[in-house]
Amino acid sequence: MNRTVLVRLSMVATAAVLTLTACSSSGSSDSDSDDESSAGDGSAFTDTPAEGGTVQMLQNADFSYLDPARGWDGGVNNFYRLVYRTLTTSAPGNADDANAIVPDLATDLGTPSEDGLTWTFTLKDGVRFEDGTPITSADVKFGVSRAWDPEIGIGSPYARQVIDAPEGYEGPYRSGPLETIETPDEKTIVFHLKEPFPEFGSVVSQPNFVPFPEGSGAGDEFITGLIASGPYKLESYSPGSSIKLERNEEWDPETDDVREAYPDAWEFVIGLDPATIDERMLAGQGADVNAISGSVQPATLPRLQGPEMEDRTLRFTGVCTTYMGLNSTKPPLDDVRVRQAINYAVDKSAVQVASGGGQLADVATTILPPTVGGYRDYDIYPSEGHTGDAEAAQALLDEAGQSDGFSMVLDIRSQPKMQAQAEAIQQSLGNVGIDVELNVIDTSTFYETIGTPELQNDAAITGWCPDWASSASTFLPPLFDGRNITDRGNANLAQINDETVNARIDEITAMTDLDAANEEWGQLDEEIMELAPIVPLVVEGNITVPGENVTGLHSSPGVATGGIDLVLVGLRDPERG
Amino acid sequence: MATVQSQPEMTEGGPPPLAQGTPERRILRSLAADRGAALGASYILLIVLMAALAPLLVKVSGWGPYEFDQSAVDPDMAGAPLGAWGGAGLDHWFGVEPGSGRDIFARIVYGARVSMLIAISATALTTLLGVVFGLLAGFHGGKVDWAISRVMDLLMGFPALIFMIAILSAIPAGNRAVMLVVVISLFGWPYLARVVRGQTISLAQREFVEAARASGAGGAAIVFKEILPNLRSTIIVLATLAIPGYIGTEAGLSFLGVGVNPPTPSWGQMIASSVSWYSVVPTYFAIPGAFLFLLVLSFTVLGDRLRAVLEPGGAP
Amino acid sequence: MLRFLLARLSGLILILLLVCVCTFAVFFVLSPDPAVQICGKNCTPELIDQIRANLGLDEPLLSQFLSFVGGLFAGRTYGAGDAATHCAAPCLGYSFQSSQPVWEMVTERLPVTVTVAIGAAVLWLLAGVVGGLISALKQGTWWDRGAMLVALSGLSIPNYVFALVLQYVLVVQLEWLPFPQAVGFAADPWQWFANYLMPWTVLAFAYASVYARLTRANVIDTLAENYVRTARAKGLPSHLVVRRHALRPALTPITTIFGMDFAGLLGGALITESVFGLNGVGKLTADAISSNDQPVIMGVTLLAAFFVVAGNVVVDLTYTALDPRVRVKSV
Repeated sequence: MNRTVLVRLSMVATAAVLTLTACSSSGSSDSDSDDESSAGDGSAFTDTPAEGGTVQMLQNADFSYLDPARGWDGGVNNFYRLVYRTLTTSAPGNADDANAIVPDLATDLGTPSEDGLTWTFTLKDGVRFEDGTPITSADVKFGVSRAWDPEIGIGSPYARQVIDAPEGYEGPYRSGPLETIETPDEKTIVFHLKEPFPEFGSVVSQPNFVPFPEGSGAGDEFITGLIASGPYKLESYSPGSSIKLERNEEWDPETDDVREAYPDAWEFVIGLDPATIDERMLAGQGADVNAISGSVQPATLPRLQGPEMEDRTLRFTGVCTTYMGLNSTKPPLDDVRVRQAINYAVDKSAVQVASGGGQLADVATTILPPTVGGYRDYDIYPSEGHTGDAEAAQALLDEAGQSDGFSMVLDIRSQPKMQAQAEAIQQSLGNVGIDVELNVIDTSTFYETIGTPELQNDAAITGWCPDWASSASTFLPPLFDGRNITDRGNANLAQINDETVNARIDEITAMTDLDAANEEWGQLDEEIMELAPIVPLVVEGNITVPGENVTGLHSSPGVATGGIDLVLVGLRDPERG
Repeated sequence: MATVQSQPEMTEGGPPPLAQGTPERRILRSLAADRGAALGASYILLIVLMAALAPLLVKVSGWGPYEFDQSAVDPDMAGAPLGAWGGAGLDHWFGVEPGSGRDIFARIVYGARVSMLIAISATALTTLLGVVFGLLAGFHGGKVDWAISRVMDLLMGFPALIFMIAILSAIPAGNRAVMLVVVISLFGWPYLARVVRGQTISLAQREFVEAARASGAGGAAIVFKEILPNLRSTIIVLATLAIPGYIGTEAGLSFLGVGVNPPTPSWGQMIASSVSWYSVVPTYFAIPGAFLFLLVLSFTVLGDRLRAVLEPGGAP
Repeated sequence: MLRFLLARLSGLILILLLVCVCTFAVFFVLSPDPAVQICGKNCTPELIDQIRANLGLDEPLLSQFLSFVGGLFAGRTYGAGDAATHCAAPCLGYSFQSSQPVWEMVTERLPVTVTVAIGAAVLWLLAGVVGGLISALKQGTWWDRGAMLVALSGLSIPNYVFALVLQYVLVVQLEWLPFPQAVGFAADPWQWFANYLMPWTVLAFAYASVYARLTRANVIDTLAENYVRTARAKGLPSHLVVRRHALRPALTPITTIFGMDFAGLLGGALITESVFGLNGVGKLTADAISSNDQPVIMGVTLLAAFFVVAGNVVVDLTYTALDPRVRVKSV
């Protein structure tokens, strides 16, 4: 998940990024965290669509990049699946285990060598680019090697982090082919890793593992164009206003167990005001019956209450945790008791209301959200109705010698929802004598401030989403491994560097039994929270009102950090609208 | 923001033929006789009183501007206020803010402080800068005039709104109110300076200035004793007409998210956060919108009438 | 005249250069590092440095500025070897966010902005000048008072408030107008017209108010002038007096502010375009500011400044042509 999009995601003005998961009908304000039962009672959303027609997607912000080596965020990853294929990919939203990773271009999830340093994949037969040329292992190798290009490879970092490459390698356009990836024949591709990485089968689901014909995509070729390997190809693209996709006749459904690709075409309408999107979706006039969009504005919720609207409302649990990081290098936050006191004192229920209330957000008591592999439910800083336990907090503060309270600076972005969340925190910490000063800064200043330990203030509100949902390996290590603290672009906001935690991370990462590893991640979650480096606040979900004629609406926590899985969507009646 | 009218239409021509020492009483009397001016002035007075007595008023109404009232909102409806009219009633006079349940009356009252304080400070600073530079340019002429005029051209040719947003969002939060005043004034003074300069040039050629010069008065003496008093009415009118512009600008910048730091209430910020709610809780949008509109309108009317009284030859 | 023109043109270039320097100073020096934002989640200091190098931010500020100005006049080449791309003059560089050429981004959106500006201008000239003229001729009547009251409201209502009220009433409540949708004029003329009607109205309301007040004042002033009185005394019919003698001098000052206002709008109506979802220069600006996309901000600022300064020159020329009494001022 790219930060640019995290940004867009939480701008009120944004409906572009669907970060949705678990399909269940609205009405029940309790969260339904069982994402694997996709249908729930809202079967109207999960009918099998008919073939044909055009599905529209209304959104506020444009996608980041058409080039999968450049783009990497919830919204665009979902879009990429319509036009591109990777060696493996997230299971389709209607699968039994939607968190799983499944084969896509490859026949299986790859075979590691004894020492875990070499991984071999075999390509399926009958996979072709949009011009009919067969996709070979050389095309995959070429596509992956683009990740090392300093100008292009700004997307997912996993290929560069995990795959061994010659010192100073700068991608195929500058340094030639990447010799460390072997292609013994047209169907076989062999990767050599720097160190064993048991989850490499998930790494090759990242968008920069898309194959491209050798020599293509130099300079800005893929800024406004693309070469499709998935079921759709680009018909037209006008940046900032629309993207039209048409069927790629060369895509063979026989080779693809993930994509249904019911509609003949897609149209992404970009640059609409979020309130306008809601109004259009509610009204559902004309071609809007064939439209889907991102989450509604909180203010639209009260209008979804009639029985007629309730049937049209689709609710999803989120996959990203919104939290407040506490900078453990700043006194008195260096005292674990103070951080624990803050965990007790924050009125999470008020934060939940500020985030859109019980229908749009669930209170978080753990670091991992329920939809990520390894999640385990616990609450070690409990309070009545999540409204905060001022007494417990005060007791800890007294113990820490902070009875009179103190003041701290909370960094937030100038964005109404985040301000509302911060004001709720400010209010509840005020009850135990902690005077919170809000430092409201614009988005880019915000990320520079919180990512640079030298500039960082006492606390900040931000969020984190997994890069794949099958395990917590892209969630806990980046946020809490003390060896990952960097002087710029730092994600460990708490700057917590605890030897036990670091050692546990190494131990779990090395485990080859992924289920057992997930058990351990769940334990580690709680062990970390004992140190109270962050205050988990909420898991923000989404509520959407799809057009009446749209169905096949399944969520996928894996692809695109959740969302309506676009590859399953289709129309009931292709002639309508 | 193409329509923030921070520059009153004022001709660059000669100064009004004004007798020295305008009898203040006559002005007050003719303003009081004018229904529009009287209404405008009373509304302004009301808002000023409201701003000044804010702490007292919220004691009477029972809710402070920062107090959350989660019992007044429905957590399952994204925090929509409970009850009709945005939750208005005996408890919350103007209803509550969706989400937090904060009292809208208290926030309006405290928001008036922000609006008035920033607009009046910005006007004071703009007027100071405008008069100083206008006088310098008009009286000295030559190179000084050339330099000041080019700076004014530059500032007026600038897409000011883009720059205000940019500067405000680039600098660390700090004291936003002060920064707002500085930034607004930075782009505002040339409009006043231009008029002052024009009038100074033509005043400097008048007989009474010539006479003063002939009698050996120094530059400073001429500026302060002869020219400035003659500019007084122009400055008063321009300043009065600038205030509504700055109120609008402050609200606009707050609307765009670069205004005062939350949780400090501001009318513009209230309007911004009410936007998504307008079809569910219209009063949340209508109340700050109406207060803002009426305040700007009152200042505009008052400034207009003031000009009519002080400068019978001027615009309506 | 030629000397005057040359002087104005050199003044124009000087001001644009100064705007360049100031914009550059504010957005490249003051503002936070864009590389951090682009870098994303799993960021490392090395990746930040790499992105900074891609964007040319590792160069000294002065040479960044010089290559920007150079690109503006002579074009510039990015990258080297196979991956090199040439950006022809006037090169405004590439967007930090989407990597698209800024010049194209701006020119693609200009037609929308021009449509907004022209439509609004037609509306406000009609409403403002005609309304003001009628008010002046019927001075003191109910019409006059009513029109001036409306004009005062137009001056006082913030445009975002008016825009929201309008949208709420006309689209949401009364459903007289459809929701904005991006369509070409040829595809669906009614939808196209409906898209622009509200932005036109919002912009026109504020300007029309200023114009109505100004026109009214000017016409009343000229009607009181001696030569008009003479014409009346000679028995010329009233409408001829107005048309021949009062209108022209009364309208001359209008041209001045019209030129400036129109030029200002061509730089994009930031709020109006954003509220109504029109994909014009104003919305581009708003988006670029919120994502700190410095080359785009640079581009739109220069464009806006260019229109304002060029508008100034055009106004001066028209003014001279319209009113021979105006002496040519040296710059």
